[in-house]
Amino acid sequence: MTELQTASMAKPWEGLDGRDRHAACMIAAQAGDRSAFYVLVAELSPLVWHVARGNGLDRTSAEDVVQTVWLALLRHIDRLSEPRALAGWLITTTRREAVRVLQRASGQVELSGEIAERLQTTDPSPEHEVLRDERDQQLWAAFHKLTQRCQELLRLTVLAGRAEYRAVAEALHMPHGSIGPTRGRCINNLRALYNGDSGS
Amino acid sequence: MRTHQSDDELMSEVARLVNELDPPPPGLIERAQFAVAIDDIDDIEFEVARWEEHRPLAGVRGGLPGTITFFVGDLTVMVNVTRTGERQRIDGWLVPAGAHGVEIRVADHGSTTTTADEGGRFVLTEVPRGTTQLLVRMNAEQSRTVVTPTVDL
Repeated sequence: MTELQTASMAKPWEGLDGRDRHAACMIAAQAGDRSAFYVLVAELSPLVWHVARGNGLDRTSAEDVVQTVWLALLRHIDRLSEPRALAGWLITTTRREAVRVLQRASGQVELSGEIAERLQTTDPSPEHEVLRDERDQQLWAAFHKLTQRCQELLRLTVLAGRAEYRAVAEALHMPHGSIGPTRGRCINNLRALYNGDSGS
Repeated sequence: MRTHQSDDELMSEVARLVNELDPPPPGLIERAQFAVAIDDIDDIEFEVARWEEHRPLAGVRGGLPGTITFFVGDLTVMVNVTRTGERQRIDGWLVPAGAHGVEIRVADHGSTTTTADEGGRFVLTEVPRGTTQLLVRMNAEQSRTVVTPTVDL
């Protein structure tokens, strides 16, 4: 009896990790368990954040988009018929929302000009002083000169390297430990920008 | 020297910089959890409003009072915030006008509700400061509820 009670009180995602854990949370959230939804928000907000940042949003807009995406998931939770596809859904929805925000902003300002300005002025700052040395500064500057596609991909690569984000690698079809051709090109571009900057 | 850096070495440098220089802001998760912690939201159709990107008084993000705007579809809501001691007064204007229900949720302070007048104007006084979310329940269409992302007021 005690065992049964304990079992019934344990949350279905406990003891699971990665995609299995989040799929279990999705199923529970779809059944109305709000605490399951909070787990998803806690564990997958960094993913949404980095996709938003990788798509050219400043930090304030990126935070708005994080909330917009979670509200959208709450709104459409019953429409996600495949709980294991959550990471992919979050990535796609965040990209779409980022484009929407940038398009709206471009109503006032020429888009490419605004992005260029943003990259020059708000990245990398105000964290600027944290940059350890000149090499860090050059690498961070080079990173922000990459195309948004590459910036997003490399940010996701960073996330996917952490065990709890294995679902991200799966959603993007990144086999663990391998660097696909697109990522390889992005890394080569980064290396060229980084080396070019220093004149070495 | 760095020309010979391997892909893995370069990626681990990038990982360090991304994690150190552009981490999610402190409180991001808590604010997002608050934004979705709306009572009885499971059974209603709602729309998610966006804050106006081009905020004339974007400084409100830094805690300064001012005017902010959000929109969704044909609905626009303008909100003016005035400090009154420890609390604040919120004047709002909904377009299209109507006697819509307005709820303001403030993290750790519950929520305050009012109804806009026929001209779409509403006033809430003595609103606590903090992470704030607005909900608008459209009068004409009972099923239409609009929620915003949070803003720190």
